[in-house]
Amino acid sequence: MAELKTSQIVGTPYIDGKYAAILDMWPLEAPECNRIYPFYDNLKQGRWTTTKCKKCGNIDYPPGVACTNCWSDELEWIDLPKTGKIVAVTEMAGPPTGFESPLVMAWLGFDKSHPLKHLLVRLINCRLADVKAGDEVKLVVFEVPSHPIDVKKETKVCDRVYYAFEPVK
Amino acid sequence: MAQKKNAVIIGGGTSKFGVRAATIFDMLQEAANAMSKDIPGLKPKDIDGLIFASTTAGRNSNSLNTAPIVAHRLGLKPSSICVRVDTLCSGSNTAIILATGLIESGISEVVLVCGAEKLNMPQRWESVFMNLITNDHDWDSGMGLAVPPPFFTMIAQAHMKKYGTTKEQMGAVSITNYQYGFNNVNAQFGGKTLNMDEYLAARTVCDPFGLNDCCPVTDGASCVILASEERAKAMTNRPLVYIRGTGQVATHGMSAHWPADTLADWPHLKKAGEIAYKAAQLTPRDIDVAQTHDCFSISEIIEVEELGFCKKGEGGAFVASGQVKVDGQTPTNTDGGLLAVGHPYGATGARQAVEVCKQLQGRALNQVKDAKFALTHNLSGLCAQHTVVVYGTEPVK
Repeated sequence: MAELKTSQIVGTPYIDGKYAAILDMWPLEAPECNRIYPFYDNLKQGRWTTTKCKKCGNIDYPPGVACTNCWSDELEWIDLPKTGKIVAVTEMAGPPTGFESPLVMAWLGFDKSHPLKHLLVRLINCRLADVKAGDEVKLVVFEVPSHPIDVKKETKVCDRVYYAFEPVK
Repeated sequence: MAQKKNAVIIGGGTSKFGVRAATIFDMLQEAANAMSKDIPGLKPKDIDGLIFASTTAGRNSNSLNTAPIVAHRLGLKPSSICVRVDTLCSGSNTAIILATGLIESGISEVVLVCGAEKLNMPQRWESVFMNLITNDHDWDSGMGLAVPPPFFTMIAQAHMKKYGTTKEQMGAVSITNYQYGFNNVNAQFGGKTLNMDEYLAARTVCDPFGLNDCCPVTDGASCVILASEERAKAMTNRPLVYIRGTGQVATHGMSAHWPADTLADWPHLKKAGEIAYKAAQLTPRDIDVAQTHDCFSISEIIEVEELGFCKKGEGGAFVASGQVKVDGQTPTNTDGGLLAVGHPYGATGARQAVEVCKQLQGRALNQVKDAKFALTHNLSGLCAQHTVVVYGTEPVK
């Protein structure tokens, strides 16, 4: 392939190796960007959390600012149990840029005591051959790329995390 | 209050679907050209409303608020409505529901519903990466879910486990739809044949899916004309095709809210079908021909169940025994469906409507004998939303 003329190209930051705002695959997690930032703050401490309605008791996932059952804004943060069981699992070659190939994905089911019924997740630290339906997996948190944010006249850096699941050894 | 009018479709056309060296506007102009041949005498000035369906933006499509640009490129000066809709894979089928309401209420007289998508990008990774925007971005896409095969393969695993569906039964869907699409010159896989040995030997995409279980990545555009019954009679001598009933059910954004205990059951599709059948005053067995959203082979198997063409759990046997073929109980995806024609998201619903229109006018390539009632269906998102439209050669009395 001929060398890309990156220095002359204006308006294609991804090709230039820079932060690609339009193609960012991670959430904007900073308190300046959303009202559910405690989710990400908790995640940084290894906690998987969501919001519970103080009025009707409904637990939402993802967390929110108002309850999806009664629209009350009187919510509290609760911890979610961090393990689930594989119901179905698969792998795919050629996942989106930035993810490992093959990418292992699973449909998880949770105990009756868990507020969630099921969830589609990425499995890491394993290959497809290492896991099967019925296996228990647990939450794992990792760093993802930071991004710059303009706050008044300063540019500050927002560190970010995201989560996946891994086999319980 | 003025009496409700009847809305009809009178014809339409599509571009060539496939990996295209063309923009969405190039392909929309191709589709308009095909439509002008399908509805002789139709002029841009006859059209007072435009609803354009598309999902992607940026390099894929030019810009947001695309409808005025489409109007310009197609020579339209809409005076009743000019809007873009995005319901992903059901875009132009959703547009048909909206156009029906506008026509029945008297706000619009003649509406062009069109859809277009340019999914193949200069580099392959761009097409996959772009698909991160087609899921609940912050919650499901972060898991690496972009294009949908990993999710639908879990649906297939669930259906095989609960109902005993086999790989060969899924193969029957792909083989049937490739046969239907063989003579369709606009199909991405037009002229392509497939037998069971080839199907079973195909490269694995995501177990149990091989290459032929998945619809391809497609560029394309389609156009269909909806009009009030009165205006339509002045525009065409062909039999009118009435929109009898519609239904759209959306249950969730992200995977955590899947509406059933297992991925094998799609209660939200069942409900969308029931709403549309009730409005149409028909039952599933009245449907002579159907276009369902066969994004994957397993999808069609579950759709024929939830739409009531066969019992729940018997979709595999239903397709494998030929009930979806042109002489079967409910011929399905008679122009090749998404599997053979391809699936440029926003363009698919209008493409299905064109096929249904031809079927009910008795001029389809794979004509179902004496077809009177037809159905189209799309799913969209993470199988989050189902859209159903029921058509007939006569209106609901």
